[in-house]
Amino acid sequence: MKAFEGIRRSGVGIEADRTIRDAATVMEQAGVGALAVIDGTRLVGIVTDRDLVRRGLAQGLESDARIDGVMTSPVVTIEAEADLHDAFSIFRTHGLRRLAVVRDDRFVGMIAVDDLLMNVAAELGDLIRPVTGEVLFSHHESPVPATR
Amino acid sequence: MRASVGDRIVIHPHRLGEHERDCEVLEVRGVDGGPPYAVRWGENGHEAIFFPGPDASVQHFEHSSR
Repeated sequence: MKAFEGIRRSGVGIEADRTIRDAATVMEQAGVGALAVIDGTRLVGIVTDRDLVRRGLAQGLESDARIDGVMTSPVVTIEAEADLHDAFSIFRTHGLRRLAVVRDDRFVGMIAVDDLLMNVAAELGDLIRPVTGEVLFSHHESPVPATR
Repeated sequence: MRASVGDRIVIHPHRLGEHERDCEVLEVRGVDGGPPYAVRWGENGHEAIFFPGPDASVQHFEHSSR
């Protein structure tokens, strides 16, 4: 499975010169907790709702301060055509909750660790089912075949 | 996904109790109607750049030729 196939939700981006207030409003209206920060077509940063609070509000920044002052940059990314399992080690190594997927430096979307976890849980459930079936349901002896 | 200026993109909810969200396509920044799209959320909403995922669908509207 390719990395881009692990994207489960739409991505939302904002230009680097937009304000903290703009970012907060877009997050609220789009129902997302993170925005890609875009310069032209290039991904230059990621800003989360937590960044707005901890790096913005808590540091006394005004709401009209630029978003590139509170974003995370450079961004940890994975190429869209990479193996999705490569994302697992990236999540582990960097302690991320979201991983940006790019194609030639252009933002494509984000993989959330929550979504990957749900996929893995569903696959584990598929494997566990036949095993628990044997344990929970008694084995019925087949009837003695008729003989002549 | 292929969209045109004026189309509406609907994002379907992921959790029980969440509602659908929608935005209007203001500009197509991809090739042949492909993403990303400059969009506006709600009637007086802010503008953003949208990268559709599997949770999004587009509602096309007739565009009158001038």
